[in-house]
Amino acid sequence: MKRLKIILAIMLGKLLIRLSRLLGNQGSNFPGAWGLRIYPGLLREMASRIRREIVVVTGTNGKTTTSNMIAAVLREQGYSVIHNRAGANMLPGIATAFIEQNNVLGLKEFDYALLETDEATIPALLREVKPRMMLITNFFRDQLDRYGELDRIITVINESLKDQIIKLILNGDDPLSLCFTSSGAQSIAYFGFEPTRYDVLDNRESREGRFCVCCGSELDYSRYHYAQLGEYSCQNCGNRNPEIEFKGQDLELTDKIILRVKDLRLESPYQGFYNAYNILAAAAVAKSLGMSDEAIRNAIHDYRPRAGRMEEFSIDSKRVVLILVKNPIGLNQSLSAVKDDINPKSVFFALNDNAADGRDISWIWDADLENLALEEHNIRKVVCSGIRSGDIAVRFKYTGFDTSLIMIESDLEAGICDALNCPVSVIYVLSTYTALFDCRKILLKLQKRSGQHPLIQPVRGQVVD
Amino acid sequence: MAQFSIAHLYPDLMNLYGDRGNLICLQKRLQWRGHQCSIENLGLSDDMELGRYDMVFMGGGSDREQGLVYEDLLRKGSRIMEQIEAGLPMLCICGAYQLLGQSYIAADGQVMDGLRFFNFRTVAGSPRLIGNILIEANIDGQKVSVVGFENHGGRTIFLDHKLQPLGHVIKGFGNNGKDGGEGLIYKNLIGTYLHGPFLPKNPAVADFILSAMAKRRGVELDTLLDDSIEKYAHDQVKDRLLGSSR
Repeated sequence: MKRLKIILAIMLGKLLIRLSRLLGNQGSNFPGAWGLRIYPGLLREMASRIRREIVVVTGTNGKTTTSNMIAAVLREQGYSVIHNRAGANMLPGIATAFIEQNNVLGLKEFDYALLETDEATIPALLREVKPRMMLITNFFRDQLDRYGELDRIITVINESLKDQIIKLILNGDDPLSLCFTSSGAQSIAYFGFEPTRYDVLDNRESREGRFCVCCGSELDYSRYHYAQLGEYSCQNCGNRNPEIEFKGQDLELTDKIILRVKDLRLESPYQGFYNAYNILAAAAVAKSLGMSDEAIRNAIHDYRPRAGRMEEFSIDSKRVVLILVKNPIGLNQSLSAVKDDINPKSVFFALNDNAADGRDISWIWDADLENLALEEHNIRKVVCSGIRSGDIAVRFKYTGFDTSLIMIESDLEAGICDALNCPVSVIYVLSTYTALFDCRKILLKLQKRSGQHPLIQPVRGQVVD
Repeated sequence: MAQFSIAHLYPDLMNLYGDRGNLICLQKRLQWRGHQCSIENLGLSDDMELGRYDMVFMGGGSDREQGLVYEDLLRKGSRIMEQIEAGLPMLCICGAYQLLGQSYIAADGQVMDGLRFFNFRTVAGSPRLIGNILIEANIDGQKVSVVGFENHGGRTIFLDHKLQPLGHVIKGFGNNGKDGGEGLIYKNLIGTYLHGPFLPKNPAVADFILSAMAKRRGVELDTLLDDSIEKYAHDQVKDRLLGSSR
């Protein structure tokens, strides 16, 4: 009876995946949701067929990029891997990945499962599967409305880790990682950077985690690598960066990233300090899993950016750059790429407030849009779109933009066309998660119509995922 | 042209959910009318001589950070109420609003003393009250529609029935999800759970604060601003809450 239910759940799931693909949707959540409805133990059942390890990747930023890199290393080493689709990182999305990659009987075995998991989903996931390793990339302010404050997420994760036999890979440069202690059966390994020449001694960007997790006093930073990540100590209780096992050394950030972890020299076509963290985190996990230096080096070297992470299109001889934005820090990074581009340009911004975007859109006020509002940045038009087009328009107005440059067009396609139809050579299309795939579809259609092929190459500056 | 100054209390600790947007809003709306406005950050190590300022703003924080502020303000805060009585414009969001009352009773039963400026108390509750909110506010005798986003575990209960809520809830939860009240208005002080942030989408409330600031200085704020973008954003949320889309 149980076997029958499992088969039924997988068959229906597979059918729904097919169906939604035919309709042109991503279909990454609801097939799994239906599968779980038919047989609630589906995930547990299928996870028991993972031969080697289940690895969970969570944290605020860098989940997708880091887990993609880890998957690439595992495959490079010749292992089979189940891995959920970018952003589909709650239980239904994870179930969809298992359904999609398994056979109808659900009996196919895989070496590894790599589960990119939303922070708040960790407790529910740990009730279903027993991972042996968990990477927490960092904790930044992100979509707080779903959970309440960051403190609560950390408490919830900590509680769910009790009694788990699990190895934690943590970011030692993030003071919030000290919230996790190796109680019970857990062991912890930290990754972090040695001083780099890109560090700053003054940083206003981030507020989270600047206070000691032990005593609440303000932390003293001797250097910031990036946002709240850096070298810190507490004057009051002596709390400081933990002993780092996976040290990032000799960091070079040019049009690519070069860094060294012990004897392993890594080179990646990505850009930006946050991606250097993703690479370091991926290497820490891969090394902890016993992967060879050669596999890590090759996989990182060959790994290329994906959809929405600065994907480029060419429409009517204009360059269009699609960027996923979802929190202030990611938005600040995207904006610096827009700012550094000296060409005449327009900006299209689709702001949605569906559950997957975060219902609370106030984060747009925590990003430094003010930096864009100077004339020398050559922005000819700002088109505000999405369900909350009004809010992003108000945000741009209060940065000091001339209101004659600000336009509201809630319809995505009409708005993208407005951004294209002005005297510019580059269009930056910024979008929150639930508008991203629609924007991409529209851009692909317009590109096809204008009869040109995609330029698949990354540009300066990446967004975090 | 007048030079105004605003005190931002504990910006490092109490500044969640885009609260700084409220200050950007006040500053810009003064600039657009030809005035200057400076914002001074006051933190744990600073004196709280609030009489020097035209307006005082304080936002929300997470529990840990709020605890630090409670202790500090309890030591320094005794004279603030005199300023409020004298008509000092003040905006307190979320955690800062809760602080104005008698006490905050946490989920584990622990009682944190408030500043006791007003006779209300806040009790932690579950679930958190989260979502877009629409209220009808009563400002300067005018009924004004106000939108925002609320996200609070605390339930605020007025113990003195002469206290005036900022408005009554049309959609959402407000002070406690039960009595239909949202926030507090007393002279030129506003306490509220609304962020999102609060003022940019509600220019009528921003201008209420600004004219109170100006009046105390003997300055007239007669320039009308074009608020069509603000109004669009306001109505977009309002329509969404009332079930018609634009």
